[in-house]
Amino acid sequence: METDEELVRRTLSEGSHHFGVLIQRYADYLFGLGMRLTSGNKELAEDISQQAFMKSFTYLKSFNSQKKFKHWLTGIAVNCYKDLIQKENQHLSLNVNDEPSYTPHLEGNIDFFNLIKPLTEDEKILFTLKYVYEYQINEIADLLNQKSGTVKSKISRALEKLK
Amino acid sequence: MNQLETIIEKEKETSYSQRNKELFSFYTLTLINQEQASRKLKRKLWVSLLLITGSLFLLLSPISEMMNYFILNLSSPSTVDIFKMAAVSYGFLFVLIVLLKKRITILS
Repeated sequence: METDEELVRRTLSEGSHHFGVLIQRYADYLFGLGMRLTSGNKELAEDISQQAFMKSFTYLKSFNSQKKFKHWLTGIAVNCYKDLIQKENQHLSLNVNDEPSYTPHLEGNIDFFNLIKPLTEDEKILFTLKYVYEYQINEIADLLNQKSGTVKSKISRALEKLK
Repeated sequence: MNQLETIIEKEKETSYSQRNKELFSFYTLTLINQEQASRKLKRKLWVSLLLITGSLFLLLSPISEMMNYFILNLSSPSTVDIFKMAAVSYGFLFVLIVLLKKRITILS
């Protein structure tokens, strides 16, 4: 089986069809991350994973092969989630009385979604990465471009809220 | 704290799968290729626009120069100078057209 780094190199030199293998390899992983961050909103989770793959392809040249592709992809997916939330909030701030109502299709572990409900978006991301995906503080700081100290304090604040 | 750990453990065991991975992969790749094609087309259009503008500028400049010469110095037009300038401009225009053709072949 080809490594992620090998597939990235082949995508850059031979074409986008090699990227398809990477998409299939990480489709479930990104979808799961999206589901956890959006509290089980299937449509949003699909959007996030698709946007993350498209963005990662656009910036594939900037990928540093010394780092793990999965970590890099996770960082991109988290940024896509933040963008999406920002867009949703802008949309909600508009007067939407005339629009037909829409109920998202929710699935997954309701207990976990209820647990992280009181957290802010940023805290939700950090808490999920740390406790569900078991990323180290320095890894989270690296993939989100934040300082380790900041990540640590935000996670402890999140834990305090949940206790 | 125990309850929190239980919920997290349960979440770790939960697995999420895309509805149709093959279709998702195919659709995402199609979108990627579409985006790439549109970016290439935009680049081509910009290069062509620049080359065409440059060509038109050079094509029109000797004509206006000639007109100026004839209008201002009707009595003694220096035809040698006009032809020199026209030769240089059209030569440059020829180079630009060749470059434009080459550029289009490379991009396609």
